[in-house]
Amino acid sequence: MDIAGIALLIPIAGIAAAIFLVIALRRRRGG
Amino acid sequence: MDADALVRDYLGRLDAAAMRLPRERRAELEAEVRDHIEAALEESGARDEVTVRNMLDRLGSPDEIVAAENAGGAISGAGSSGTVAFDPSGAQTVARPAAPGWGAIEIIALLLLTVGSIVLPFVGPLLGLVFVWLSDRWNGREKLMASAIVLVLLILPLALFFGASTSGGLNGPQVGPAATAGP
Repeated sequence: MDIAGIALLIPIAGIAAAIFLVIALRRRRGG
Repeated sequence: MDADALVRDYLGRLDAAAMRLPRERRAELEAEVRDHIEAALEESGARDEVTVRNMLDRLGSPDEIVAAENAGGAISGAGSSGTVAFDPSGAQTVARPAAPGWGAIEIIALLLLTVGSIVLPFVGPLLGLVFVWLSDRWNGREKLMASAIVLVLLILPLALFFGASTSGGLNGPQVGPAATAGP
């Protein structure tokens, strides 16, 4: 794992968590 | 004040509180509340002042109903698509808070997790997690899952990177047969 790989994983981690939270919130509102 | 006057007063206050709603939605909300009041009074079998006051108290204040309407689009009823919860067994008409939606904390959290992770590497997503934990719209399990996603994807590669560098995988001292070979 080099610096570029880590730099790429930072936004991926944030975006993955954000997608999960958006889905959780929408599912609760829709349900 | 008689029962009808109480109901008229309540509906008048609802009308005033609902001024910020779109006209159609305001008329719809008032009609629904009026119908529920009538249904609740018919169920109770009495129209005296005390009964009406109790029923209106259970319904909630007009401001609460409008606030719930603003927040989530509906005061959800049990098993119905109406905007006011109504229990026919005891004329229990109750204004409930709307389903949780987006607030400032949630938007800031998501911005920090997405844009923040590009603009502020490491700091952005970690700050985003702080806001996620400050929010009351997500439950504990969802907060834990989001934290796990971020921390695993951040800490694991960092651990691999520093693990590799300290063991000589990247910039560490070169140890090999040439270093140990003597004359």
